[in-house]
Amino acid sequence: MSSTWVLYRKEMLEMARSYKLIWIPVVFIILGIMQPLTTYYLPEILKASGDVPPGLLEGYEIPSAAVVMAQALGQYGTIGMLVLALGSMNTLAGERYSGTLELILVRPVSPVAIVLAKWFAQLTLLVVALGLGAAGAAYYTEQLIGSLSWGDVIAASGVYGLWLLCVVSATLLFSAFLRPPVAAFLALALMAGLSLGLSILPAWFDWTPAALSGLSAGILIDGEGFRAAPYLSDSILIIICLAGASFLTRKNNFPD
Amino acid sequence: MSLLQVTNLRKSYGAHISVHDISFEIEKGRCVALLGPNGAGKTTTLRMLAGLLEPTSGMISFEGSRPGAEYRKGLGYVPQSPAFYGWMTGQEYVVFAAKLSGMGAKEATSSALESLKRVGLKDDARRRIGGYSGGMKQRLGLAQALVHRPRLLLLDEPVSALDPIGRREVMELLREIREETTVVFSTHVLHDAEEICDDIILMNHGLIAEQGALSQLRSQYSLPVIRLRTEKHKEAIQWLESLASKPFVLESQLLGDHAVFNVNDVEKARQMILQEAAQLEIPLLQFEAGSSTLEDLFMKVVGV
Repeated sequence: MSSTWVLYRKEMLEMARSYKLIWIPVVFIILGIMQPLTTYYLPEILKASGDVPPGLLEGYEIPSAAVVMAQALGQYGTIGMLVLALGSMNTLAGERYSGTLELILVRPVSPVAIVLAKWFAQLTLLVVALGLGAAGAAYYTEQLIGSLSWGDVIAASGVYGLWLLCVVSATLLFSAFLRPPVAAFLALALMAGLSLGLSILPAWFDWTPAALSGLSAGILIDGEGFRAAPYLSDSILIIICLAGASFLTRKNNFPD
Repeated sequence: MSLLQVTNLRKSYGAHISVHDISFEIEKGRCVALLGPNGAGKTTTLRMLAGLLEPTSGMISFEGSRPGAEYRKGLGYVPQSPAFYGWMTGQEYVVFAAKLSGMGAKEATSSALESLKRVGLKDDARRRIGGYSGGMKQRLGLAQALVHRPRLLLLDEPVSALDPIGRREVMELLREIREETTVVFSTHVLHDAEEICDDIILMNHGLIAEQGALSQLRSQYSLPVIRLRTEKHKEAIQWLESLASKPFVLESQLLGDHAVFNVNDVEKARQMILQEAAQLEIPLLQFEAGSSTLEDLFMKVVGV
């Protein structure tokens, strides 16, 4: 346990020194506040761009605060996910390829501790980024559009965070045995596959972690969003990723 | 008592066997050189000893413990080109390494300072590792391997990649370190081994070709030898060839105008060869009488 803590502190120090702890939250904040801003100012933006057929803007109605907030969280499902995958693809792969992992593995440290430390560091980054991003989005939504229940916002962000944690865990797993860009690509492809599956065949995929994004929106819009299956599959997927990454790290498949 | 006992250690990758059932023991307090040409299986052996590679078969027992027991706490390891986090300072890294080996924060800090001082990195301890030179990284490698006071230090080619000055520094350090702990290091330079080691294990093609105390091997393989070089005349070369069949020559090696003879009596051989050369007016360029060294043994084993 104590070696996990030592490794976790090292990961956090690295994130701070490489400014990852700053730029990823900044991206999340920008993504979050863009949604209420563009929604609110859409008529102005359209007018400014010139020829708008008369009557088009009259029909425009600003969606409710809950809907805007749900859309803001939805932004993290694409660009946010990409940023997270790119930001975490180097965690294990970078250390394997540079050889720094070797000097850790000759010490009395279990591979599980190494993987857990990295996962907790990524989780910390995700909590900070998503927390600040969602707070920014909620603040602007509240100011421009209408009031929100803060409890719902926190719950919805948490549920969305569980879905984002999937991509981080999958990247960690793939980076235990593949090159960094391949790891990020496969993790994103897996998440995209689940999302696509859910939108094409909802009945078949509604138990997968991809359904969490819909549940998160449900919490905001109609105040309910509990179905055990997505949470369960999310936890199982994360545990499989961590166990797999630990196993592969133990096997020491170093590139020579 | 032997510190490390290795029995029938083997590592194979598919059909290719890179370490072929080797067995050896390492006594406490000795300095052992794992010697051999590139590709002999030295690094593979060291990595198995360090627990970085799973042996295909065979046993490694540390201080008489049951094979497979956790012994990494008593181990220090420096790979051929150690890689560090460039964003850390030297001191941060060594403290980090000490903590991973189970030291408390206070002890880790003091021990890290001590080992950094020892390898001569005290003044650079607060600089980022990204700005270190190759020699400094090698010394940082030693510092991180020594920080938890290991009972066995494993070094993979510690001086191969260094310039003469860096090499000198690291060899001096090793000479000091070997007074305190057991050291195993691999090298393909015999000279390095002869300089500081007690024992050598000579490996080739995944097998141990020869092993033993350096002094014993030296006397065992020391043979009287005569080296000759003549000008490139036909008669001279013919004469060199004729010498090969003399009764005092045990073994001969002819390379054009150059010849090496292992002889049974260096005094007699010297006299006869020089007399004959004078009689036949052979244009000698070089004549050397002495004993063959481990270098010759090494070359013979490696098969060059």
